[in-house]
Amino acid sequence: MPPVEKFQRWVDLLVALLRHKAGCTFEDLAREVPAYGNGRTAGDAIPDSVKRTFERDKADLKSLGVPLETLGAEGAEDTRYRVRSADFYLPYLALATPRGRQEPAHVGNWHYNSLRTLDFVPDELLAIAEAASRARQLGDPALEAEVESAMRKLAFDLPLDSVAGADEAHLVPPRAAADPAILEQLGEALQHAKLVRIVYHAIQTDTDSERVVEPYGLFWANGHWYLAARDVEKAAVRNFRVSRIRVAERVDNRLATRDYAIPGDFDLREHARTKQPWELGDGDAIQAVVELRRDTGAVMAAGHLGVPVGDAVHLRMFDVRRVDAFARWLLSFAGGAVPVSPPAVVDEYRRQLTATAARYA
Amino acid sequence: MTGPDINPHRRRAETAAIQLRRLLHLIPELADGEEHRVDEVARLAGTSPRALLADLNALVERYDVPAGWVDAMTIFIDDACVTVHSNHFLRPMRLTMSELCALELGLMLAERERPAADRPVVASALARLREAITNLPANDRMTNLRVAEIADAGTSVVLGTVRSALRDGRKLRLRYRAGAAEAATERIVCPYATAFASGSWYAIANCERSEGLRFFRLDRIESADPLDERFERPAAFSLEAVLPHGRAFSAQHAGTMTVWYSPRIARWIAEREGSTRSDDGSLTLEHPLADEEWAVRHVLQYGPDAEVLHPPELRALLARRLAEMAADQGRTYP
Repeated sequence: MPPVEKFQRWVDLLVALLRHKAGCTFEDLAREVPAYGNGRTAGDAIPDSVKRTFERDKADLKSLGVPLETLGAEGAEDTRYRVRSADFYLPYLALATPRGRQEPAHVGNWHYNSLRTLDFVPDELLAIAEAASRARQLGDPALEAEVESAMRKLAFDLPLDSVAGADEAHLVPPRAAADPAILEQLGEALQHAKLVRIVYHAIQTDTDSERVVEPYGLFWANGHWYLAARDVEKAAVRNFRVSRIRVAERVDNRLATRDYAIPGDFDLREHARTKQPWELGDGDAIQAVVELRRDTGAVMAAGHLGVPVGDAVHLRMFDVRRVDAFARWLLSFAGGAVPVSPPAVVDEYRRQLTATAARYA
Repeated sequence: MTGPDINPHRRRAETAAIQLRRLLHLIPELADGEEHRVDEVARLAGTSPRALLADLNALVERYDVPAGWVDAMTIFIDDACVTVHSNHFLRPMRLTMSELCALELGLMLAERERPAADRPVVASALARLREAITNLPANDRMTNLRVAEIADAGTSVVLGTVRSALRDGRKLRLRYRAGAAEAATERIVCPYATAFASGSWYAIANCERSEGLRFFRLDRIESADPLDERFERPAAFSLEAVLPHGRAFSAQHAGTMTVWYSPRIARWIAEREGSTRSDDGSLTLEHPLADEEWAVRHVLQYGPDAEVLHPPELRALLARRLAEMAADQGRTYP
């Protein structure tokens, strides 16, 4: 069946469902949707192939976000199907300002009588316009398409084009950006909870390896997309920088079945929380105390990342898991920030300082 | 493209889905009984006139007409214009969950850019958008699958001030403490843009004191006060032009420095800089150099895994600085 027919059938089905406020049976739909009634005379049973087509159409429309309800037992003769206008159509969107309320003209047709009005304030509009601008800059074409679609709907009523200042901030993409096709593949697997086989370039070992993973989430952190996923073989959740994923493909193609469940206690937002290089890693953190010996802009900004130590204005404490990374970070302040405890951190700093000085001896 | 072959049903469904989405966007805008130019409508729909006409033709060229269809929708098409009368689809469809999730991701970033006092409006905008979505049981499965996180580092108040000034075209008085400066200096600046690059927020502004465009790292701005005096951003200003390769760096009057990176860290640097390593796995790069103090900080962050090869003056400066650091290291806090 060519796509035009499918598109026509969906439109016909939607129109038929929207016409019946209280819903209608499949028998009713077969009378109103030409593709379901083709070649059938009154009294003929509806062929099973048509019923299967209807089932697919329902699933497809729901996946497009159409709020199609089933009233009664699925498949029974008296089961009714319904799309309520108020659930399908965008509410009227009004803008409430101190000077008054700008409400769009209502459609003069009974189909639309049940639509209510949502009030937005100008600051909310600015936040939405900013959000759209930021999301467009994240380098994911699928995400961008969703944003465009959403903004077009909202702009039907709201003056989003005239919101000034929404695009004042620019997220500068890294050179090694994520491949949009990989992002799309991962996004789809994530949505349908499908196992994915990835080929990942581990930069630490400079090797490519194949892994099967359960995607738990995609997160964008400080310029890069990451996949949080459970590595099936290692039985552990790992982060994979998407720009280092060479290949991503679903293990099987059946989107209707879900391959795994994300644990209820997995919190993607917490998982994605930005960490400094010295905060990464397993095991307990040690508390390192650093003395800020210079008041340069770089040292003072660094001081904000630690917490004060009592009343000592020049001391800051940091939670450190990777002592080597922390020592190198301190070196970059060229003596402006120096560790004073514990000995493990002080010794590592001294060791790196000596080794670095040897390069210029 | 990776992934298994898409089965024919799915491919047809995707094509039909694109057409349906386009139709649900278009009909509310077109169905006013007036003539609309096909090329203009296609431009608004982000498609070609040919694809647009194919969608509309698919609706009107039928062997069978659904019950009530003729009354419900009529479409007249000629070579250049289209006229639509319809009782259906006169409003856009509600937002879908995936559309909401995309905007929510942007709202997460917008929230982090704002000072705490301005954040509630982001939550209220999200709540309002939630009221405009189609409610489906599958929506629950789509929540918390994507998040976005951006470093705050205490810069949101300054960022808000800079952006307000940018929006209003007002100059700012900044107290700025440069990376190597022990005291802040006061500058009057005209902010042209803000940008997040390499993990930090920057204001890109014309500085009256320096008589040129400068990058100000927001976490080094001690105070920012908007002035009454106004400015206009030059029409020729382009962020892409001032952020070559996404790096916040003013290359005016810059020399160069050559840095060797050991095989231990070269992979990360090569990935970041888009460079190729030597056969031994190391990497040697030439960087623009406008500020020696920046160069010292840059190279020391890699410890013994990076070494300045050129210029000799910079090597000498590093040798001196490292000797001072070694001498000073033993001094403990009283």
